[in-house]
Amino acid sequence: MTESSQYTLKYQHLLRDLKSTVEGLLMTQVANVWSIFGGLNRFHAIVDKIFKHGCKGSLKESAYYSFIQGLEWLQPDSSKSYFSIDCEYRPHIPSHLKTDKSAIWLYRSLENHSLSQKLSWLLTDKNHLSQCYQEYAFLRQEKYAEATLICLRAVERNQASLLSDINPYLFIQKPNDFLKVHRRCSSFPDHHMQKIYAERFNVRRRTVQNVQTELRKEAVKKVKQNVQGKLKPWNSMPSLLSVQSKISKRPCSESKTTPTTPVHTKKISPTALKVDYGTLQPASKKLNLKRNRPYAKSTCVKHIIIDNCNIVEHTPSLSSSQSSGTIVNEELMQSTISMPETKSKTSNILSQSPLNVVDSFLPMAGEKDYKKMPKKTFIEDGGMSVLPMATGYFPKPTKGQSLLSFLTSSQFSRANAELDRENAHFSISEAIISAMEQIRCKRSGKLTDDIDDSDPEIVELKQKIRLRRTKRVLEKQKNHMSSSMTSDIKSDTTTTVSPCSTTSDGSSSDDVEDLEINETSNLEENAGLSMSMASLFSEADIMKRHTRGAPDGASDIFSAEGVAISLISKFSDKQLPRASDLEWLVSEEDAPQALLPLPKSWPVSPDSAEENVTPLRGTQEWAPPRAQIIFTIHPSPVRKDLMAKQNYRCAGCSMKVASKYASRFRYCEYLGRYFCTGCHKNQLALIPGRILQKWDFKRYPVSTFSYKLLEQMFPDPLFRVFSLNKKIPSISKGIELCRKLRLVLFYMKDFIFTCRFAESFSIPEKLEELGSALTQPDFYSIDDLIKVKTGEMIKKLKSLVDICLKHTSECKLCLARGFFCGICNANEVIFPWQMRTVSRCDKCGSCYHVGCWRPGNSPCTKCSRLKKRKESTDSSY
Amino acid sequence: MASRKKTLLKVIILGDSSVGKTSLMNQYVNRKFSNQYKATIGADFLTKELTVDDRTVTMQIWDTAGQERFQSLGVAFYRGADCCVLVFDVTAPNTFKSLDSWRDEFLIQASPREPENFPFVLLGNKVDLEPRAISAKRAQQWCQSKNNIPYFETSAKEGLNVEQAFLAIAKNALAQQNSTVDLYNEFPDQIKLTNTQKSGGNGDSCAC
Repeated sequence: MTESSQYTLKYQHLLRDLKSTVEGLLMTQVANVWSIFGGLNRFHAIVDKIFKHGCKGSLKESAYYSFIQGLEWLQPDSSKSYFSIDCEYRPHIPSHLKTDKSAIWLYRSLENHSLSQKLSWLLTDKNHLSQCYQEYAFLRQEKYAEATLICLRAVERNQASLLSDINPYLFIQKPNDFLKVHRRCSSFPDHHMQKIYAERFNVRRRTVQNVQTELRKEAVKKVKQNVQGKLKPWNSMPSLLSVQSKISKRPCSESKTTPTTPVHTKKISPTALKVDYGTLQPASKKLNLKRNRPYAKSTCVKHIIIDNCNIVEHTPSLSSSQSSGTIVNEELMQSTISMPETKSKTSNILSQSPLNVVDSFLPMAGEKDYKKMPKKTFIEDGGMSVLPMATGYFPKPTKGQSLLSFLTSSQFSRANAELDRENAHFSISEAIISAMEQIRCKRSGKLTDDIDDSDPEIVELKQKIRLRRTKRVLEKQKNHMSSSMTSDIKSDTTTTVSPCSTTSDGSSSDDVEDLEINETSNLEENAGLSMSMASLFSEADIMKRHTRGAPDGASDIFSAEGVAISLISKFSDKQLPRASDLEWLVSEEDAPQALLPLPKSWPVSPDSAEENVTPLRGTQEWAPPRAQIIFTIHPSPVRKDLMAKQNYRCAGCSMKVASKYASRFRYCEYLGRYFCTGCHKNQLALIPGRILQKWDFKRYPVSTFSYKLLEQMFPDPLFRVFSLNKKIPSISKGIELCRKLRLVLFYMKDFIFTCRFAESFSIPEKLEELGSALTQPDFYSIDDLIKVKTGEMIKKLKSLVDICLKHTSECKLCLARGFFCGICNANEVIFPWQMRTVSRCDKCGSCYHVGCWRPGNSPCTKCSRLKKRKESTDSSY
Repeated sequence: MASRKKTLLKVIILGDSSVGKTSLMNQYVNRKFSNQYKATIGADFLTKELTVDDRTVTMQIWDTAGQERFQSLGVAFYRGADCCVLVFDVTAPNTFKSLDSWRDEFLIQASPREPENFPFVLLGNKVDLEPRAISAKRAQQWCQSKNNIPYFETSAKEGLNVEQAFLAIAKNALAQQNSTVDLYNEFPDQIKLTNTQKSGGNGDSCAC
């Protein structure tokens, strides 16, 4: 008995470990779960434990090798490719595994997402399983093995939702009760549930009876009409009724049976218990009761309970035959439907479904949505919305700042980079631990102090203090009642500088109370409290924010500071040490970069000097990547040199790597730096520099940061192609043609947009589709360049030019707005876009025949006229 | 012979920005006035039929942009004009000073056969406003120096003298047309389109 319970505990332990690891992996919702650093190793360790549990092989090495060898004859055709261990993958496998064949196999299977398939093959052969594993082995427990498969599948498909298929009872049941319990009542502790049932049924009995009799009449009638009882909506009823003739004599015997040993269980066919919930749903409440009734005809409450238990006990036989995950899920669904009597609202039950019993909880689908802000283009925000993995930023508390105000300060929301926020957990947890230690230390000091207050004066003073305290509490309550914004704000203790508040070491109980009094008086004085002082939210406020569950920046309940706030919220602010007194976990080499020396005459307003310190980026050895536009191709990298230049740190997150592992780092073709595998997931992207310099549209691996940046840049016209690369017309004919067509349209647009006749043909609208290409013809986006490459751009531009040209050659107004050549005075209208025959003066905009005047030679006739006139008017003044 | 044909008179209004060119034209053609200022872009025209000396003529009035910044558009419409109306603001001395350059520029761009005899009409607009910066005498002196240009003081806002001014413009234009009728044909034929423009559709026309 104790042995089996011990085993169950072990199972539970293993499964819980597995599940929480899977949850951790899937929480981040990255495309490839193995890109989470250390994820694969951790997962491997846990699965390895599961495989080793109860294994008959020697425990040291390759314990379950014989088990996995079963694949060779279970799945002979696929086994070779699956089973053989690729030598070239060895470098990736952690060194401690290198001797363990089975562990390597496991590692590889996990890595290529094939373990669930293989394990399910292995588990199908019970014979093989029993040969390799002891009876108590984890994998031989069908339910646990099934749960393991679910976990594996969840990881393989990257679907956290699959985890909900795991039977929650695997976690919470006591070893003995486990098998007896039916899932339908899984949301209730079973003894307590019976009581509830008894009460509820008692109340409902009469109505139930009425309904029941009615129903039976109806059903019987229907059965009479329809001999086979095929009526669908009453699926459960006819079948029960049909059995009823057989069991009609049973009730008497049934009532004698004790709850624990139901005699009739085997006699009732399992089908009788199958209820078609899909069709019954609308009336499920009533029908559930009806379902229970037919074979417990007595009105006695007790019997109903018994029946309920009976049903409970039948179903394991049902469910044991159902092994697939989806059916388990259905069962869970049913359990919520079948229990509406005990909960006030069915919707409530769904949300409090048995999953909640399990201590950890799953991330809901779409939970991260709040992070998806409307996308900005690169031009709009200069790439600032693309965050590097880390910036090395951690806020520093100002001197005397209270812990709570430091944690709630907006400084934390500035640390947006993923890794910074992760690292904040370390720093903050360290600080909180030391804060707790300080509190404990103070408390023990306080106790000794309390003993020796024999002085009557002190006693009297204390009495006074107590009175004022209660008064203050009352006041506070009043304030809360009024629920005004200001009442929710405590004063920042740093502003009430009491002599004791700075000496945190020797603060006796009296000191603390003195401080409180000071504060109350302060509160009374300026009841409104200036908002600038009120950087602190009261606990109530914080709690409100948390329960609302809308994480935004600092109030994110999962953020390091959010967790810390909820931890220290149990203590009053005065008990906690100052934030600045704590040791913040920032090592010397992670210290931020030194500021560049500022000019001495730099104007600094005395108020802002202290508060608005620019957060420093990176450390002395590393700086986070910036959102920059790179037009050139990096020289082909020499790993050794470049890694040394990077101080053997990942350019994205500053993770240090030993030089022998430098080969694992990946090169980002855009930034020209090496990144760790966490920051560089081999995403492929077009490299602007390569397009601009070599007209190379191949995709190259880039870091995640670059990928996001390039994605953001994609539609933005950022590249003056022709000034960036003078030789580009010779590389690509398309781009040269495109340039000319764009210039034509650039000149044409002034005519088209101001012509009332063109409007009636909606030509301007067609032109506007081009967007910025019309106003800035020499700026190209990556998107544009791709379209130039494919020819799409030229096709579009040509059709537009044709439309516009047709219009301008026929339109009276457009012709009137053309030019005559000021040199030859020929009676021929010319336009600036006739670039072969017409040259245009960039200064005054007038046009001439190419043969008459060319730009660059001498100022055009109009320009010289204007100049002369200007001189004459200037001299006349 | 010209009397039998429907006569089209082409009139160009020139002058600095915001002197009231568009307002004058609108007052004359539509009898409407708006206090709102809206810069004219490029050039546009309105037509009005009127009877001059028992002859029905269609006056095509070209309103132009006074601002220099609309350089991308040309002034091909200057050619074939029958009369040029110069407008200045009697309360803004600068607008009077730049009349010379407007006149010169017009004569160069329009290149009429006889630049000395080409009919101009000067309008001093906004006489309803105070204070006057350019006296009638000073304006008339300038007109005399330019071969006796007719001068009218108008107010587009109150419709003052607008009708008379345009009638005089029409008469001058008609006189001009009669004198040069043998040399110029009517407007639509005066602008010759090049082959490249007519061919329109293909890329050859735009040097691409």
